[in-house]
Amino acid sequence: MEKIRIMIVDDSRVSCAMLTDILNKTNFVVCGTARNAAEAVELYQELCPAAVTMDMNLPDADGIECSRRLRAIDPEAKIVMISAMRDASLIMKGREAGISSFLQKPVSENELLDTLLVLCHDRTGIISVLRESYVKTFVKVLRKSLFSLVGVHSKVDLEVDEDDYLEVDGVAVIIGLTGYPMGRAIVYMDQATMMKFSQVLLNQEEAELDETDASDAVEEAANIIVGRGVSKINDIFKDKEMRITPPGTICGEKIRIANSKLTSFRITASTQLGDICMNLGFAEGE
Amino acid sequence: MDAKLVNPFVDALVTVMPQMGFAVPKRANISVCSQTTKSLGVSVIVGFTKVLRGNVVYNMTEETAKFIASTMMMGMPVAEFDDMAQSAISEMSNMLTANAATNLAAMGMEVDISTPSLSIGADFQIKISNDSYLVVEMDLGGHIMELDIAVR
Repeated sequence: MEKIRIMIVDDSRVSCAMLTDILNKTNFVVCGTARNAAEAVELYQELCPAAVTMDMNLPDADGIECSRRLRAIDPEAKIVMISAMRDASLIMKGREAGISSFLQKPVSENELLDTLLVLCHDRTGIISVLRESYVKTFVKVLRKSLFSLVGVHSKVDLEVDEDDYLEVDGVAVIIGLTGYPMGRAIVYMDQATMMKFSQVLLNQEEAELDETDASDAVEEAANIIVGRGVSKINDIFKDKEMRITPPGTICGEKIRIANSKLTSFRITASTQLGDICMNLGFAEGE
Repeated sequence: MDAKLVNPFVDALVTVMPQMGFAVPKRANISVCSQTTKSLGVSVIVGFTKVLRGNVVYNMTEETAKFIASTMMMGMPVAEFDDMAQSAISEMSNMLTANAATNLAAMGMEVDISTPSLSIGADFQIKISNDSYLVVEMDLGGHIMELDIAVR
C-alpha cells in the first residue's frame, strides 16, 4: 500500500524526531521537515504532502501565520496544529487560518494517528468506514430491539443523511457517544407514533397515557437501543471503547436539530406503529 | 444534585468567553428545578460520561445566539441565524464543556464529552434529568445565557 506523506513543521529537532518515529512505524511517512515558515512554504510546494503537522512557535512566524501562507498556496492544505497551549482563542484563530485539528503536546500516539487518518481519507472513504464498522451494527440492533421491546417487525432503511436539519414533530432522544468514534445518536418519532409505541411498551394499550409518560418510555427504549448498539461495537472492536452519555429528550412541534458538520446516517424503521428513526452523527470527516 | 458542580461550568464561561472577545460573564441567577426546561429558542445539549454522567444545556434566545455568533466572528454582523452562526454556537458549547471537563478533572471527576447537538424551535421542552437539575443564568454583556446542568 502506498504510504501517506506527511510534512512536519517544527523548529525543535527533538519534536521532529519524536513525530517521525511515531509516523514512520505506520502507514505514514515523513516526506520532509521544515524548521521555519519560509522553509515550510518552499518545501510544501516542492513535496505536496497529504497533510502537515504544525508547531505553534517558529523562529520567523507563528504556526497560524505559517498555516495561512500554506493555505494561500493550496486552499485544500490539511494542517494539524500541535502545540503546548490549546486554548479557545488559539483554536478560533487557527480555524480561521484553515487548521483542521488541534492536538496538545505531548501528543498521544493514537490521537495523532487517528487525526491524520481521518484527515487524509476522502469523504467517501470515511463514510464507508463508518457505515461498515459502526452504523450497520445499529441497524441490526434497532430491528432486533424493536421486536424484543414492542414486538413489531420492521423494514429498515439506511441512508447517508445529507439534510441540514432533522425535523422533529414529536419526540427526539439525544444520546452522546464518547470515545472513538465520537458523535451522537438521536432516536426520534412523531407524536402519534410516540403514543402508540409507549402504550405497547408499557402494556397499556387501552389507557390514555400523558405525554410525559409517553416520552419517558421512548427515552428508556432509546437508551436501551443505543446502549446495546454501543456494547456490541465494543465487543467487536476490543481496542476502542465507546461510551454513551445519559439521554437528553426534547419534545414539541417543528423542532429542527442541526445536522451539518457531522457525517450522519439516517436509519428508518417502518413499523405498524409508525416510523421510528435513528440519526447517527459522527464528528469524524466533517 | 450537588451545587458545587456549578462552579466548573461557571468557571469555564468566565475563562473561555473573554478569550473570544466577550466581557467577563456574570452570574445572574441560580436555582434548582425539577421539571423539564423550556427552550428559549436555541438549545445546545452536550452530554458527558465517565466518573460523572450527565448533560449540560446551553439555552438562549435566537437574539442572544446571534449576538454571541457575531462576537465570536470578530463582530461580523449576523442577520440570520444561519449555518455559520449555528456552527459558532456549537463550537462555543464544545469549548465551554471541554473547559468545564478540565475543571471537573481537577476536582477528581474525569469526564469525556460528546458532540454538541443544537436544536432550534419556537416552543419545545427539554428533559435532562429524572429529578432535579441546576439552572444558572449568566449575563453576557446584557444577554442572558441559561445553563442547565444535570448529573444522573
